[in-house]
Amino acid sequence: MSSSHTGFLSRLFLLLITCVPVFAAAAQDVVLGASVQLTGPVANTGRYYRDSYQFAVDKINAAGGVKIAGQSHKLVLKLYDNQSDVNLSMRQYTQLVTEDKVNLLLGPFASNFALADSAISEKYKVPMVQGGGASDQIFARKFQYIFGTLAPASNYFGSTISMLKLLKPAPKSVALLYADDAFDVSVAEGTRPMLKQAGLNVVLDERYSTNATDFNSLLSQIKSQNADVVLVAGHETEILNFVRQAKSLEVAPKMYSFTVGVPSEDFRKALGRDANYAFGMTPWLPSAELKDRWFGDAGQFAKAYKAKFGYDPDYHAASGAADVEALVQAMEDAGSLDPQKVRDALARIRFDSLYGPIAFNANGQIELPQMVIQVQGDNVVEIYGLKGLIKQPKYPMPAWNQR
Amino acid sequence: MDLLAQILVNGVLQGGLYAVMALGLALVWGVLNIVNLAHGAFIMLGGYASWYLYTYLHIDPFLGLPLTAVVMFALGYGIQRGLLNLVIRAPMFNTLLITFGLEVVLTYLAQLVFSADFRTINPPYAGSSLALGPLVLPVARMAAFAVAIFLTVGMWLFLLHTRLGRAIRATAQNLVAARLYGVEPRHLYAMTFGLGIALAGMAGTLYGTVSQINPYIGASLTAKSFAIAIIGGLENPLGVLVGGLFLGIVESLTTLYIGQTYADVASFGILVLVLIVRPGGLLGRTT
Repeated sequence: MSSSHTGFLSRLFLLLITCVPVFAAAAQDVVLGASVQLTGPVANTGRYYRDSYQFAVDKINAAGGVKIAGQSHKLVLKLYDNQSDVNLSMRQYTQLVTEDKVNLLLGPFASNFALADSAISEKYKVPMVQGGGASDQIFARKFQYIFGTLAPASNYFGSTISMLKLLKPAPKSVALLYADDAFDVSVAEGTRPMLKQAGLNVVLDERYSTNATDFNSLLSQIKSQNADVVLVAGHETEILNFVRQAKSLEVAPKMYSFTVGVPSEDFRKALGRDANYAFGMTPWLPSAELKDRWFGDAGQFAKAYKAKFGYDPDYHAASGAADVEALVQAMEDAGSLDPQKVRDALARIRFDSLYGPIAFNANGQIELPQMVIQVQGDNVVEIYGLKGLIKQPKYPMPAWNQR
Repeated sequence: MDLLAQILVNGVLQGGLYAVMALGLALVWGVLNIVNLAHGAFIMLGGYASWYLYTYLHIDPFLGLPLTAVVMFALGYGIQRGLLNLVIRAPMFNTLLITFGLEVVLTYLAQLVFSADFRTINPPYAGSSLALGPLVLPVARMAAFAVAIFLTVGMWLFLLHTRLGRAIRATAQNLVAARLYGVEPRHLYAMTFGLGIALAGMAGTLYGTVSQINPYIGASLTAKSFAIAIIGGLENPLGVLVGGLFLGIVESLTTLYIGQTYADVASFGILVLVLIVRPGGLLGRTT
């Protein structure tokens, strides 16, 4: 008797505390849900999304939150750690929608995750804006509820290949290596026709398994084929191994370029001086020309981000922050929290952000050109963009023993 | 022809590294009958130990090997005495579970302590190489290979000719008889596990000088070591060396002729073949 009595009292008490904040808040909070790699093999890049989502949410809240129909709503971020496990991330997105009843979704990192998780947003008709998956496959299925702020994977090497024509001596032969996952296969599929069109001779076109650590045999083949240009689409760990083993086997093509790594501080630190001369690409650099409603501009964003988290943001972080902004902008445009209306507003959206002009094509993907960048000494230098050559590339790359 | 020769050299050097990785796993498995699923995690820890020694105390990774080995030995000894010994007589399933749990704990502790950033042990000579005609011989890989040969032969001599080594082999062969002759199994098991972990730690050092370290490298290294131990056999360290070399060469040739994505197919295919044809390993006794 007495135990059920106290049970009732404690439940009443619990009810009271849980109700208080609801009465206190001026308007309903808007909850954004995401499942991100905070642990596991991809945690290194996953943290960009955790940090940039939270950073953008805090900034927007500090500026008054989302204004819908004259009322200000605070943003709340509901974040799960998917432990770099695709299946777990699908379960977590299902939970976010069905149990946590979040209003809208932010994406995970990496194409294979976005590919799987977009099936959940499509099923439950809750729009997801994701800045971590670039594979064209994500957007080739005519899904209505997935929007992406990374430039298409198929075009990652586009600007690099058009730059090749300007180099002297002109490179003639190319080796293309790519990992066997959704993103890198898309990169390779997009790169082949561009290489053909540029009249380059592809001497090696090899797929390798994700997480491969031994590149000695592939490097020996590159050397024996005497490839002028080496293009690698892979993950940071593989590219670290690739560069280190290239050095130890004295494989120095005229240039090499990587889809990931070069823009990220951690990657350059791990390689030290050996990162020098590596080419890469990024759709984003922290330029003061990219104006933003909340952060002022991209330069200020980068500075504040570094001050808060202790490392430099790269395009993943900028893309993640832009995802939050896109959802906020879409809610305000729609004047509603209704997922269907927000989805329609996203399809029409057009605004300037710290990441660049945000607009989605009919498939839901952004169209952003890639800038070619190169590690020169301690700096990452912008080499080539839409306007042509910006700074002289260091080309050809010197032999390893002459550095 | 030059290419084929270079590919074979690459395979042999990779194989030496494989052998060191598997040596500790095979020892622990053969003597304690524990398939240590946390083996790769210990390789990872050894890599971090050397990384810290090199980055903060400027101790060369190869010169620091004994130090890493001692630290890892102590860790292994403690874990066997305090944890694994509790389930040493339990069915194999229990030891699998407990070492799997250990792997998870070590990996996530490593992320907490070391962060998910990539680390490389990068002494100035790590990227240099020697030329032998048209062949390129990377210095760090050659050094790793030399260490592999040294450790394998050293282990072999140790097991064959020292009192402790003979006690370890005796315990593996017949526990009751060994006890009757005065072997104290608890201490001996802990010594053996400590040795296995010390070997794993040294493998981590070598791995860090030619590749990269992060908290998550362990699981795939355990799988690779497992395959090598089976292919080589558990009875004899020389078998593990043969298994490692064999696998390194097969993977290199597969990459050259078929494609890198088939390298794992080849190595685990061979694992299955060996299990069918020579269950005791390439150098093991056929029973």
